[in-house]
Amino acid sequence: MTGVEPAVAEGKSPTRPYWWTFAVVVLLQLVGAVAGLAPLLAVVELGRVLLSAGPVDHDHVRLVVIAGAAGLFARLVLTAASSGIGHVLDDRVQLSFRRRLAARLGRVPIGWFSRRRTGELAKVVGEDISAVHPFIAHAPGELVAAFAVPLVSLVYLFGIDWRLTLITLIPVVLAVALVPLMMTPARLREQREFDAGMGRIASSVVEFVQGIAVVKAFGGTGRAHREFRVAADDFVGTFNRWARGMSGPAAAMQLALSPPFVLLVVLSGGALLIGGGGLAPADLLPFLLLGLGLTAPVAALGHGFDDMRAARRAVGRIREVLDVRPLPRPANPVTPQGHRVELRDVRFGYEADHEVLRGIDLVLEPGTVTAVVGPSGSGKSTLVQLLPRFFDPTGGSVTIGGVDLRELDSRDLYRTVSFVFQSTSLLRATVAENIALAVPEADFADVVRAARLADIHDRVLALPHGYDTVLGEQARLSGGEAQRISLARALLADTPVLVLDEATAFADPRTEQAVRRALAAVKGDRTVLVIAHRLETISDADTVVVLEEGSVVERGSPAELLAHDGKFAAFWESHRSAVAEEIERRGDAAR
Amino acid sequence: MIRMLLRVLGHRYARPVRRTVALMTATAVAEGLSYALLVPVLRALLGSAPADAWPWLGAFGAAVAVYAVLRYRSDLSGFRVGTTMLRGMYHRLGDHLARLPLGWYDAGRVGEVSVLASRGVLQAMSVIAHLLAPFIFASVTPLTIVAVLLVVSWQLGLAALVAVPVVAVIQVWTGRRMAATDAQRHERDREATERVVEYLQAQPVLRAGGRTEERFRLLDDSLREVQRVSRRGTLSTLPAVVGVTLVVQAVFTALSALGVSLALSGSIGVAELLTALVLATRCADPLLSLSDIGGKLRGARSVLARLDAVLRTEPLPRPREPVEPAGHDLAFESVTFRHGDRAVVDDLSLSVPAGQRLAVVGPSGAGKSTLLQLIARFYDVDAGVVRVGGTDVRAVDPEALMARIAIVFQDVYLFDGTIEENVRLGRPDADEAEVRVAASAARLDEVVERLPGGWAAEVGEGGALLSGGERQRVSIARALLKNAPVVLLDEVTSALDPINEAAVHEGVERLMAGRTVVMVAHRLRTVRRADRVVFLDGGRIVEDGGHDELLRQGGRYAEFWHLSTAPVTSG
Repeated sequence: MTGVEPAVAEGKSPTRPYWWTFAVVVLLQLVGAVAGLAPLLAVVELGRVLLSAGPVDHDHVRLVVIAGAAGLFARLVLTAASSGIGHVLDDRVQLSFRRRLAARLGRVPIGWFSRRRTGELAKVVGEDISAVHPFIAHAPGELVAAFAVPLVSLVYLFGIDWRLTLITLIPVVLAVALVPLMMTPARLREQREFDAGMGRIASSVVEFVQGIAVVKAFGGTGRAHREFRVAADDFVGTFNRWARGMSGPAAAMQLALSPPFVLLVVLSGGALLIGGGGLAPADLLPFLLLGLGLTAPVAALGHGFDDMRAARRAVGRIREVLDVRPLPRPANPVTPQGHRVELRDVRFGYEADHEVLRGIDLVLEPGTVTAVVGPSGSGKSTLVQLLPRFFDPTGGSVTIGGVDLRELDSRDLYRTVSFVFQSTSLLRATVAENIALAVPEADFADVVRAARLADIHDRVLALPHGYDTVLGEQARLSGGEAQRISLARALLADTPVLVLDEATAFADPRTEQAVRRALAAVKGDRTVLVIAHRLETISDADTVVVLEEGSVVERGSPAELLAHDGKFAAFWESHRSAVAEEIERRGDAAR
Repeated sequence: MIRMLLRVLGHRYARPVRRTVALMTATAVAEGLSYALLVPVLRALLGSAPADAWPWLGAFGAAVAVYAVLRYRSDLSGFRVGTTMLRGMYHRLGDHLARLPLGWYDAGRVGEVSVLASRGVLQAMSVIAHLLAPFIFASVTPLTIVAVLLVVSWQLGLAALVAVPVVAVIQVWTGRRMAATDAQRHERDREATERVVEYLQAQPVLRAGGRTEERFRLLDDSLREVQRVSRRGTLSTLPAVVGVTLVVQAVFTALSALGVSLALSGSIGVAELLTALVLATRCADPLLSLSDIGGKLRGARSVLARLDAVLRTEPLPRPREPVEPAGHDLAFESVTFRHGDRAVVDDLSLSVPAGQRLAVVGPSGAGKSTLLQLIARFYDVDAGVVRVGGTDVRAVDPEALMARIAIVFQDVYLFDGTIEENVRLGRPDADEAEVRVAASAARLDEVVERLPGGWAAEVGEGGALLSGGERQRVSIARALLKNAPVVLLDEVTSALDPINEAAVHEGVERLMAGRTVVMVAHRLRTVRRADRVVFLDGGRIVEDGGHDELLRQGGRYAEFWHLSTAPVTSG
């Protein structure tokens, strides 16, 4: 449990409400385990009674057998209850941790995701939380039992005969003495190599599998495959060395803790003492029965060690996610006046020493379309992502309606700004839910209107359950259809500021057409910022901003920029022939 | 279990595995038998002549020594077989993955296979190294002890013997019960993982909709479902776990009661009784640990089953006597290709003479990319024939076929390495000058100049350190270097910005010169350069002809063309 605690960097520990239940789990386990000694003690008592001279008291014997059985039964009930409560508790703790992770992931800057793999993060929420399971459901109770029972036994055995007790401890001491042999620098190094080797296998197989198309297309199968083989052979080599180094001490330890060896030691000691007349024969029995249990802590430590190590690593990864600083929320939110967007000397860098945006000044007037053009890596995507506050600028400010985004309540922000086509990911939910994602309270009629405007309504009606069709389960949409759903999503949100990224290719001309039509229809008083990829978009824009290496190098209307004869003009020139041809074709088609 | 393991691995491992199992069984039997010597030892120690115990103790010591040697050897043998099998498994899996058809690798497979090929293999192989021995010890030793008991006291032995099938039945029952809940749990976990991935991928959309402020219902429902199923699993397996313990304990209690009454009536000696009870306690712990081991074995078994499923997937057959294609023309003859029960390509016939350019146009999902993939034999057709140079692609050696084809995809995957290494993949034996020529033809040289480190600049895993346009230039340079007579282009420029598009276009033009080309595109600008255009919908050719000709016809292609060029105001 203590291992979980530090994972919670701030606020109330999510485990706190469960501490009482947790204490009950440990207590039940403890009492149950100690009760488990009863049958062993009963056998001891039987031995004493039967070995003693004189007539045997039958009632006493019956009582002893019953007491033993009762102890066993108590152990059964208590440990079962402990395990049941422990697991149920574990499930609740896991749920609360997962919710906490989900909440945190919903607030970290979007930029944080771009450098992480979705699969790895999903693993933290899923597998890693599950890996903490032994910490909560097993380890504490079992460890307490593994130590408490031998301790109680030891006290009892010392009370009977201290010499034989010491002899009985010989196997335990031997086993503990072997531990350093398993922890030598060489062993530890092998252990590290072992982990690193596993990592190499994982990454070479990822490369192999993800790049399989390229691999096959260029006949590189041998190469990538070879890398996997080499990684696997290295790993097996390390594993072998580790196993060989370990096998000696490990076998010796196993032997020292094995019941035959323990019995041999106890019996030899007993024979010595009994022969010398220093021990009553009946007193040998408790050592035979309880002595075997003394090895439990060592075995338990070895046994749970791997799980605990894995759990600790998992906790590290969970903590890493929980420790990410979310975008701060304003203490006193301000409501924006209008929707004029202003960027003042905006600077931003994903890493401290590398600025992606270097002092951008830009005003987006309501009712205008501003197109951003520039080579890849010029900072276009980063720039537009500042508007929906996927990141906060590292310098300068972004304001909407005169209010800094950082002063804006997030709900106000999302009611003001929407983002089209940044991602076309559809959820495994109904069509209506997918369209109404940003406005869950929207009327059905509005959903349909948005779908019509996005030219997807007819397709939706053709689905098995219309707007109630669960996407991904009852029907699959093509790429273009998915894009039109996400267009409908943005149209329904109906925000005064619209940010559009054309970087995602339109899957087909029909989708391209739907987007252009929809935008023309909703333009009105909106503030539109678009990363333009198509010449049509650029020539239709009110203002064009040319971005290069994080700075605005040219700005103005398309006509002005053409007259200016700078970067934009040069770029336009390279495309002019194509455009001219196209316009000519348009003319042909119109005729 | 073992049988599945051997099937997955191949039967040449059968002998070492059997030997290891035999060794482990022998060790367990030795342990059980050594306990028989406790009877004379205890009789002596508890009786009137404790000194008589020494020879017997010596014998017991010898038995323990035998047990120790056997145990060490069986541990070692387990490790050795385990690592040999580990290596064998990795190689077998690697070889097999390299031979599987590309069509097998869909999006979900990548993650699954990665996990399977790394940790999965290790987990499956740990069966031999770590789980088999405890399993055998926990089941064989108690059985041997029962046999010893029979000799010590036939009444007590018989009572224990009667308990054997009861314990066995309840163990099996518990196992089944747990396996069922495990499967359910696994299913829910998988669903929850999908939801988490969905939640993460949809973050921008969800945030833009202000949906991450409250708990996101779809995700939260599935997380709660995980908890619910897990709790139900715990509660439903609890009786089974309790049942095992109860039976084992009941047997122990019955044995002690029976033993005591036998001893009281004088049928067996006190030493025999006490030995029997000591031995009975020795049986209880291993039996109780069986269900724990069983759980781990089930985990390993499910991994094994998945490995088995992958290894049983048939790779595309290789021709016994490969034919060398004569020429570079392409042909589809009544080709049908199905994905599930949907015909992606439906009875399609088509031919491209050598040196000509064919453009494939159509709505998304029409089967355009599949057409390209069938030429490169990423899949085999379900009916009909795909020919390159007049030869059925299935009759051509796969490497020889690939040598004739250069492919440029929309999404470019680069290997973690330098730019130069990635370009050289096109033709590993190309000299310096050839690489430079290909790079400048693809306008990759300007990218290289800009990058710190130039040609030696690392591209990152999957090429993540380059932009989409830069990656695309690398892949075109790669294709140019390969200098293959057949070129397949799949939406090469559709995801690029105008500046990169212009650069890539130049490279593509050079790549297409003098070669047989099939290109999939919807940027119709590109399409106009083709000698011939086919419009595909639902896996069939709907229209076929030159660009101008199709435009004049006023059909689907013309409609597409107008959609993408019509002025916005017309809407």
